[in-house]
Amino acid sequence: MKPFANEPVLELRRAPVRAQLADAIAARDAAGPLAVPVWIGADTRAGDALVSTDPGRPDRVVARAAAATEAEVDAALATAAGSRAWSATPAARRADVLLAAAAWLRERRLEVAALEVRECAKPWPEADGDVCEAIDFLEYYARGAIELEAGAELLQVPGERNTLSYRPRGVAAVIAPWNFPVAIPCGMTAAALATGNAVLLKPAEQAPGCAYVLVQALREAGVPPEALALLPGEGEVGAKLVADPRVHTIAFTGSSAVGQEIVRTAAETPPGQRHLKRVIAEMGGKNCVIVDADADLDEVVPALVRSAFVYAGQKCSAAARVLCHEAIHDPLVERLAGAIAVLEVGQADRLDIDVPPVIEQDAQERVGRYAAEAQRTGRLAATAESVPDAGWFATPALATELPEDSPVLQEEIFGPLLAVERVRDVEEACDRVDASPFGLTGGLFARNPETVDLVIERTPVGNLYVNRAITGAMVARQPFGGNRLSGTGTKAGGPGYLLQFVEPRVVSENTMRHGLVV
Amino acid sequence: MIEDGIDDALLEARLLEVGERLAGALPAGMRNPLKAADDKAMELASQDAELKAALFRFVDVVPACRSLDDLARHLTGFLGEVQEPPPPVAVAMRMGNSRAGRAALGAAAATGVRHMAHRFIVGESPRAALGTLRELWRGGIASSVDLLGEATVTQSEAQRYAERCDDALATIAGAACDWPERPALEQDGAGALPRANLSVKVSALTPLLRPDAPERGKHDAADRLRGLLRRARELDAHLHIDMESLDSRDAVLELVLELLAEPEFRDGPSAGMVLQAYLRDSPATLDTVLDWTAGAGAGRAHPLTVRLVKGAYWDHEIVEAAQHGWSAPVFDVKADSDRNFEALTQRLLDHRPALRVAIASHNLRSVAHAVAYDELRGGDSRDLELQVLRGLGDPLGAAIAAQGLRVRTYCPVGDLVAGMAYLVRRLLENTSNESFLADQAKGVPLAELLAPPR
Repeated sequence: MKPFANEPVLELRRAPVRAQLADAIAARDAAGPLAVPVWIGADTRAGDALVSTDPGRPDRVVARAAAATEAEVDAALATAAGSRAWSATPAARRADVLLAAAAWLRERRLEVAALEVRECAKPWPEADGDVCEAIDFLEYYARGAIELEAGAELLQVPGERNTLSYRPRGVAAVIAPWNFPVAIPCGMTAAALATGNAVLLKPAEQAPGCAYVLVQALREAGVPPEALALLPGEGEVGAKLVADPRVHTIAFTGSSAVGQEIVRTAAETPPGQRHLKRVIAEMGGKNCVIVDADADLDEVVPALVRSAFVYAGQKCSAAARVLCHEAIHDPLVERLAGAIAVLEVGQADRLDIDVPPVIEQDAQERVGRYAAEAQRTGRLAATAESVPDAGWFATPALATELPEDSPVLQEEIFGPLLAVERVRDVEEACDRVDASPFGLTGGLFARNPETVDLVIERTPVGNLYVNRAITGAMVARQPFGGNRLSGTGTKAGGPGYLLQFVEPRVVSENTMRHGLVV
Repeated sequence: MIEDGIDDALLEARLLEVGERLAGALPAGMRNPLKAADDKAMELASQDAELKAALFRFVDVVPACRSLDDLARHLTGFLGEVQEPPPPVAVAMRMGNSRAGRAALGAAAATGVRHMAHRFIVGESPRAALGTLRELWRGGIASSVDLLGEATVTQSEAQRYAERCDDALATIAGAACDWPERPALEQDGAGALPRANLSVKVSALTPLLRPDAPERGKHDAADRLRGLLRRARELDAHLHIDMESLDSRDAVLELVLELLAEPEFRDGPSAGMVLQAYLRDSPATLDTVLDWTAGAGAGRAHPLTVRLVKGAYWDHEIVEAAQHGWSAPVFDVKADSDRNFEALTQRLLDHRPALRVAIASHNLRSVAHAVAYDELRGGDSRDLELQVLRGLGDPLGAAIAAQGLRVRTYCPVGDLVAGMAYLVRRLLENTSNESFLADQAKGVPLAELLAPPR
């Protein structure tokens, strides 16, 4: 097997590459709404309890999905719990299946990306990046599972043979978000499958279409029907999975509130449950970027704009707060404001936009509330100049001069609103970062190596980015995941991730019999 | 055999002659800018990659430092990462231990960087640069002024840059009236050549250049560029539109060709663009330009000037491509760029008078090749311009001028803050082990310097 390499994103700076996109989106529109079933074993049931629409044109239906009933969730659990073949399949064979799924996605990458553009208003470069990341997860975990199957080396002394091997934990419930609608469900699912677990995938209600495509890829690649079920639905589907004693592992990416609820529920051991559940949770953040006095604003401004406004700030890694040294606070705010004022807000299928709509009306209203709050207690230093009215568009904005306890600075907004705070020095910035319950991503712009060392030492975040934008983690290059209330500290796309889905077993065998080593 | 019958051997023989002539004309005592400069630091840096990195990071951060103490702390911070520091570095590190030491170190370092900057940057403003421009002109060397500036991220910055360009055009054109006559610099076969010459960057004229959406930046920059073209025409100045990284190449190329084809600019001004020979697809770009000269751009009063360069963003292009998993848009072997440069030189020279040609290189072989090819084609030497960079190519420029050939020096203007990105790129070039200047400094024999790229 070739060593792992990231799937290259489209080189959209080349005109012929860009030219393919229009056809892909036209094909998606011509195909009409996707029918997404509840899919358990060989059985599918269509329905239209869930409808996903284009956030930029809410009258355009992208997918109609059945919502899994309580009985269906139960049936899916029974099927998964009864499946043995997949866990008994050697890792190399499972890896082949994942690689086949990667190939399936690779062949259809524009088609899948076009679906993301419509269903989640993910702009082309981001949608393409998402499909590539999904491919990366499949390729990376396939290789990782083969390595893991070899077990780990233990100290051996004469007369005993010690082995450590890893076995699948059992049934994994994967509860996925909409913001990386193929890559994140794919990563969690692929990790569980690679290590021999059965998976019940509960996608976000906003993005059932994307999850359906993922399950198609895996099923057509050869994942046995009983090892992978698709259970679209609202929160109660996830809640039922989390509480069920047949579930061993819960892989969740989403809000902090839901994540903490999952951790609490999963801690219970109802009668009949003979194991402790393991929760892998990736939750919210309030990501801070520290800007020291020696930073080069020519680099800082574009990197901040990128970190805060690409995909309308709807990445868990997105920048929310800038903690800027007072010596360059004013010029930073002035230049940042000017850069935000020219942001083009528009439909995700256009390459000439900077900021797409947010996912739904609730999100639009939430961003509006925080912007109003920022205006009331601080100052809106900039807002983008033209924002379409049809569709769930939120106005990109820059907030400054806020009181330290402002909700704008404390709560996750998950939208295109960036706040700048003035700090005396980097130490004070570190204090503020340290005061936050979140610890997902962080950024630093500073050029003195001693300052960089200081911030590395003091920052609790899971992913710190130095002198660059703070989004766009790549599989195997930036294993991703938060600490504190942002997550369980597991690193998706990193070396230790698969360990979350396996049980280690150690065997120590006496090889001495009557003084003879056998 | 070359296209219209110029024999390779004949060309090589003539090239050698021209090269020897030019080498012989290099001003005595300053045959190499590296030797001429008294900056020990750069010489040390070219031998030690870590030290080079440390010094570049320091040069880069100088304008952002707030005090001598701050400067010294940065310097010792960077130098502290050098594994095996040479003796001068150890001295600097010791100085960094006390407040007084840091003040002295900071002052020395700031002076050093300023000194380096002055080699490459002719003045803080166009007005301050006039003395140098006039002096060059008197010595038989034309100039093109480039206004250094911070990145443009807002509309007001784009506007300010356009205003600075406008002012530079007026300042230079106003002063150039009084310059003495230099017929070799003012006339070629296609007509008069403006004395005032300004190079501008599209990336500074708009905050909206997006690699994935070239139309946006083009559209936004168009009005400001039109304004500058009008101003240049009014002042009888030449406006040259620079090229930067591949991310903006299509936008810049299309913008220049579209604007210059507009009826309003048929009668002027004299204008030009840049072709980067390190790009693998540069021959196709030249096709586009040639099609344009025969199509939309035909019949303009001033032929389009094409400045052929190797390209200054090589490391950037390589890294960008590697990080994205793309194939590199530039030749990864320097000899391939050099060969392509020669092939493009010949095509450009063959397509006069539809084009004016400026060959910009410090590689004696590349320059001699252009001159030799032109001579063998029986060209009028007035129809070939050679260009060098201030601070790197001054001796070569003087040698070219001494041969009676037309030469222009690219003269960056701006303050230290604005100039830092430019300065770092130049220093990188200056200390690259692959550069022609480095070979020259090492005392590589002339015959080898003039040998075909391999």
